[in-house]
Amino acid sequence: MNMFIYIILLSVFSTPLFSAELMNAEEIARHINSRDEGIAVSRFLTMELTDKRGKQRIRKTHAFRKYYDDEKRTAIFYLEPKSIKDTAFLTYDYQAANKDDDQWLYLPALRKVRRISASDRGDYFLGTDFTYEDIKLETRVSIEDYNRQTIGEDEIDGFHCLLIESIPVTDEIAAELGYSRVQQCVDDQIWMVRQSKMWDLNGNPLKTIHSSDIRQVQGIWTQHILDVVNHKTGHQTKFMFSDVQYDKEINDNLFTKNTLKRGL
Amino acid sequence: MNKKLFCALVLFYLITNVCLAIELEHSTKVKAQWGINTRDGSSQSLNLILQPELVFNFDNGIRLTSIARAHSDLISNIAPGSLNRQAYNPVNKPLLASHELELELREFYLEAEWKQTYFTLGKQQTVWGKADGLKVLDVVNPQTFREFILADFDDSRIPQWTLKLEHTIGPVDLEFIWLPDQTYHALPEQDSTYGFTSLRLVPSQPPAGVNLDLRKLERPNRFIQDSDVGLRLTSFWEGWDLTLNYLYQYDNLPVLFQQFAQTVNGPTVTVTPQYKRTHVFGTTFSNAFDDWVIRGEIAWFSNRHFLTRSPLINNGVIASPELFYVIGLDWSAPYDIVVSTQLFQSWIIKPSNNLTRDKHDTTLSMMLGRQFLNDTLEIQLLVLGNVNDGDGMIRPKINYQLNDDVKVWLGADLFYGDSNGLFGQFNHNDRVLVGTEWIF
Repeated sequence: MNMFIYIILLSVFSTPLFSAELMNAEEIARHINSRDEGIAVSRFLTMELTDKRGKQRIRKTHAFRKYYDDEKRTAIFYLEPKSIKDTAFLTYDYQAANKDDDQWLYLPALRKVRRISASDRGDYFLGTDFTYEDIKLETRVSIEDYNRQTIGEDEIDGFHCLLIESIPVTDEIAAELGYSRVQQCVDDQIWMVRQSKMWDLNGNPLKTIHSSDIRQVQGIWTQHILDVVNHKTGHQTKFMFSDVQYDKEINDNLFTKNTLKRGL
Repeated sequence: MNKKLFCALVLFYLITNVCLAIELEHSTKVKAQWGINTRDGSSQSLNLILQPELVFNFDNGIRLTSIARAHSDLISNIAPGSLNRQAYNPVNKPLLASHELELELREFYLEAEWKQTYFTLGKQQTVWGKADGLKVLDVVNPQTFREFILADFDDSRIPQWTLKLEHTIGPVDLEFIWLPDQTYHALPEQDSTYGFTSLRLVPSQPPAGVNLDLRKLERPNRFIQDSDVGLRLTSFWEGWDLTLNYLYQYDNLPVLFQQFAQTVNGPTVTVTPQYKRTHVFGTTFSNAFDDWVIRGEIAWFSNRHFLTRSPLINNGVIASPELFYVIGLDWSAPYDIVVSTQLFQSWIIKPSNNLTRDKHDTTLSMMLGRQFLNDTLEIQLLVLGNVNDGDGMIRPKINYQLNDDVKVWLGADLFYGDSNGLFGQFNHNDRVLVGTEWIF
């Protein structure tokens, strides 16, 4: 009898119904977005752009980000190469879904700060394989743009991950973002996306983003290398962050069009 | 520019920089372009620009920027020597080493911040406005018309000695400018490639038997009384980038007063070019809505001058306020194509029926552009057309970024329309361009 009960219990608890359920994808997204990113950060960012023939272009920038209640401001100043030095990008990202972000680009050749349409978010950012939206989100995910579900588990660079799949809420949003599907591998110990795979609007593999050299800086988990491979064009982008500082005082004036124009 | 002053400035900055600078940034731009006239295959221009730039960052936060420029064109009719240089203030005038070569201290300015006021002092560019292709409020600095409006604004704008103060009060940025440098538009000589012939800009040639007496340009030269002054307020409100602008300046184009008289030499038309003061009140705005960016500029000039059909009418010139504005729409179209359209309209306020242009004048522009290969290849088409005269220009261009430092381009500047039109006057100047730029 005891043996019979044991077999029954074993068979019941081994069914999927009672297995340890994977965390709901929305909850994972909330964990990702509530991870401490610091109020502000200053860092140098080197961009390595490599085309399919191996020809390389390198950009060096100084980037700043600061939160203001429900608003995030980001400024990126180009330092090298000399041909695009002083180009600068500024964005005010609002939490409210019904409010468009405000974005500006300073082009030194024109000596003018130009307003950029926020719905260009699916466009590629200044020749990289990241879109404006990728740049804006940094390590976060967009809650309102996608329906998502947890589809399994995986391992990236030896770290356990939860796999979530995100589908844009509408075709219109998919067209804006340039993605029909996104699959992300989320480290459930530090709630950071270690790998993202994107598919284009026709369902073909578009690109893969891989985060590495993730370590704590002043107590905040920080990715230091981002590799993107565009499967359609063969183009690759590598972002390398250095001198990351969360405790540096960042003047509010940095996030103004005047500073964009004057440079650092 | 006066040679002694030029040397003194170079010496000054070398001494100060060697002594105090803690960080030096330097770059050099080399730009070469060959223009071929499509009518006869002759070379229209063959120019070379060498532009070294030094930026010294001092340990006290002060920054000194110095940009020099050597500019040569081997084709005589478009070379630096083909430009009328009377409009330059002597302290701003480039040094003409030969007909084909000019040397210039292009920009030379100090930037410093003191008690939350940002100072920029020296020879610099002041850029206002949001329009592309034509200028509405971007009239603070004059420009050279050696190649009409075909050169990049950054190259054709004439930097001026300026004091600029910027200060932020609450949500408003204030910019005050004072320009004691009396330099105005540098116009090409009439027989040069882009010399003006349109009746909108220059009086018609006197009939046979009537002499023309063109007097020397009367350029204002009093340091304080003849300086220009301006104020710009900038704010960001509910998603709108807004500015209010005011400028008290001498209009950068001379007024060509004409007088007909019987002289001992026979009937003569005397043309006296003079600069006239105007107040400029303006505003600019821009905002983004979904795929669209709307931008615009409105300018009110209190005192502008327009040519009449005859020197006998009001000395050949009518003075009137002018309302000039531009509305632009930029559309991020499907397939990453950018479509930018603009409507420019100029209204002469004072009634007159004897002008060489219409009272209401409309120009339309459209730019189509797309980037390829991760922004290394850019294809662009710009069309500018004047509705009243039915003339315009078409400018296709392909840019290719060979690597981080070098880009090459192939393009064309094609004019159409009547020879009396602003664009049509250069109908015989259609050209194909090849060029390269190297920045290191």
